[in-house]
Amino acid sequence: MKLQHPKYRIKVIAILVALVAFVFACRKAVPLSDSEQNEWYSGGMQTVFISGSGAYGQPFPTLSKEKQELHELGDVGFGAIFNSDPKQRNYGLGPIFNHVSCASCHIGDGRGKAPETGEALGSLLLRISVPGTDPHGGPKPVPFYGGQLQQRSIFGAAAEADVTVSYTEKSYQFPDGESYALRTPVYTLSNYYTTGPGNMMVSARMAAPVFGLGLLEAINEMDILALQDINDQDGDGISGKANRVWDIEKNEMNLGRFGWKAGQPSLIQQSAAAYNQDMGITNRLFPEESSLGQTQGNLASSIQELSDSTLYAVAYYVKSLAVPGRRRANEPLIQQGKILFNQTGCNSCHVPSFRTAANMAFPELSNQLIYPYTDLLVHDMGNGLADNRPEFLANGTEWRTPPLWGIGLSKIVNGHNNFLHDGRARSLTEAIMWHGGEAEKAKSGFENLNTQERKALIAFLESL
Amino acid sequence: MNTKNISSAALIISLIGIHSCRKAENPSGSSGTPEEVQKAIIYQLADNVIFATYQDMDSGAVALETHVNAFIQNGGEEELKACRESWLAIRGAWEKSEGFLFGPVATQNVDPRIDTWPVNFQSLDSVLTHNSTFDNAYIESLEDALRGFHPIEYLIFGQNGEKKAADFTQRQKDYLLALSHNLRGLCDLVVNEWHGGYYKEFTQPGSGSVYANQREVYEEIVQAIIGICDEVANGKILEPFSANDPSLEESPFSQNSMTDFTNNIRSVANIYYGAYSKNGKGLEDFVRLYNLSLHGKISMEIEAAIKSLENISLPFGQAITAEATKLQSAMDAINALKETLENELLPLVQLHSAE
Repeated sequence: MKLQHPKYRIKVIAILVALVAFVFACRKAVPLSDSEQNEWYSGGMQTVFISGSGAYGQPFPTLSKEKQELHELGDVGFGAIFNSDPKQRNYGLGPIFNHVSCASCHIGDGRGKAPETGEALGSLLLRISVPGTDPHGGPKPVPFYGGQLQQRSIFGAAAEADVTVSYTEKSYQFPDGESYALRTPVYTLSNYYTTGPGNMMVSARMAAPVFGLGLLEAINEMDILALQDINDQDGDGISGKANRVWDIEKNEMNLGRFGWKAGQPSLIQQSAAAYNQDMGITNRLFPEESSLGQTQGNLASSIQELSDSTLYAVAYYVKSLAVPGRRRANEPLIQQGKILFNQTGCNSCHVPSFRTAANMAFPELSNQLIYPYTDLLVHDMGNGLADNRPEFLANGTEWRTPPLWGIGLSKIVNGHNNFLHDGRARSLTEAIMWHGGEAEKAKSGFENLNTQERKALIAFLESL
Repeated sequence: MNTKNISSAALIISLIGIHSCRKAENPSGSSGTPEEVQKAIIYQLADNVIFATYQDMDSGAVALETHVNAFIQNGGEEELKACRESWLAIRGAWEKSEGFLFGPVATQNVDPRIDTWPVNFQSLDSVLTHNSTFDNAYIESLEDALRGFHPIEYLIFGQNGEKKAADFTQRQKDYLLALSHNLRGLCDLVVNEWHGGYYKEFTQPGSGSVYANQREVYEEIVQAIIGICDEVANGKILEPFSANDPSLEESPFSQNSMTDFTNNIRSVANIYYGAYSKNGKGLEDFVRLYNLSLHGKISMEIEAAIKSLENISLPFGQAITAEATKLQSAMDAINALKETLENELLPLVQLHSAE
């Protein structure tokens, strides 16, 4: 990589000096080998070493002053709470919605917490569809309800339905005797605003962390496609598949990268869809209210509620959120966990590293060695996790490998360790034990480790 | 979210190298090793400042609910005045807690549930004309802008702060009571969560805590005071100021915004000096160990920031146009403090706090 920017040059020199200092300062800690030094920098040059509650919300450290300002504008937009009062700023909420701002679900730019039995959905939402596909091969909307259930509404409108959550719990034991429990969520819909559809498929989706997404978007499509093995020709039991989804801006099918089933091709579309579906905010990409086709639809006065500049600023904000660096990566327990992570085959899908594509227009994202621990492909995860609701090429048992970077900071940023698409797992151990399908082998690999080894593997994940 | 670049990966790596073989030393000569002093600071900040502030907030919420109840029983000006005073009191405690927006208040998403503005008048009117029962489940189902401090403020002060006891409808009283009750519940939640485990995680970093070591606790504390400086200067003041729009003001009905801002910066002072319920150890004692001139600089800048805010005589909504220069100076002073905390204090605590 040619380093044009003097700031980068200084930085790299500083890093080299620091590395030398590190290696020679003393030999107490086990240092990572030279090539492994990069692993401290999960987000390449866009890594921040901050481990408090703000860990997910830091801008790229190399942004210019002008770009920082754009990032901050986006930050304001991300936090802006929408309302239904036409006389105020941030007007346009609803008429039906899931929540009132981006940050209401992506708290601290992080992960939503699963609602406990009887609690409101909070950061969770329900995608819905009926069998069949839309004109682009995507989920077929439910007549009079659309593709997402909005369980809240502004005054004068009716929420689509009430949703209550409960869990059934089962206890299990590891072969070495340690016990654990898994809970399965049950969503009960009632009080439909109009006749409830009979054949509705429901998929619960938890708000996911939003940092590092610009770097994932910057991975060369060819590098992702190269990992596909749709018919499992190498016979390892893993058959990753790229999702192909409708790209509204480009008016064509493209690689899906974002969302729990990789149903969105770009951050701009992901953001615009969230504005529209989660908050009821019309925008350039989604000009119609989510209540379109309902008696309460705001059709006659359909105005674009979100300015293009806010949409772009928010997408830019998300794109330029840095990745927290590794912590304690050179401790022996964590080193052991890393070896076990690879030995059990977790790394087959949670692919440790990529180098982002060269990008002259956005040098911050260009040619970065990153450690996201995902392949961005969808995999069969077994019946236990299946939502049985297809989304483009991802079928009812397939989910996109979520990135693992920063996962160890969930507790400090979000105050919980709820994982998976609906937040059902209450710890990393539970999340692993939910794996099935293509991940069955890796799961049983973990299951059959002894207590100390499982602890090491979890410690490795927590250091990410 | 709001804070800025804290990268310096290089620094961190060299720290790991240097620190792993570093022997504790005590450059100040005061009692206790630096590690002991650092530990004591965290305990005392937790007890004397953070938890004490939350307790004031919680007892303030109890008082507010009591006064609202009394007002609803008797309905007089006297009782209404007591409601307003107790609102201002609890508001003060809350704003003085915004210098440490981490832990339960952040992870339980308490902030948006009690402190969202501007108030959504249209929906608020709808809530008042609707016939739902004002129970806590109903309040919880409302949009964030329809509960917490600011709808309460609107109800008890009125649009221009001139509301009379006789102006209240029964429905407004019911709503007010339910809102006060909800606010109290959320204040209870914060106190209970601190009691119920977070206190231990905060004061005893290491295994069993979300903080791996004291350095991470210090980073959390310093990040939070940087965050509130940024929020006050570049959000709360700058947004209404640059939009020249008083309707974006935070506490317009009580005309309390300037006090809010000042209390925010006071919370920075409280954390820095370790003084609130009583005068104990604070970040000051950390800085003094290593860099006396930085201590001098931070003290002066905290004082300048508070003075520059106190300098503004008009309510914020009017100051936006009538005292623009003074507001600009206040933003500059707060930003200067923020820069120092970010560029000098944060690296200092990262360098010297125990791994």
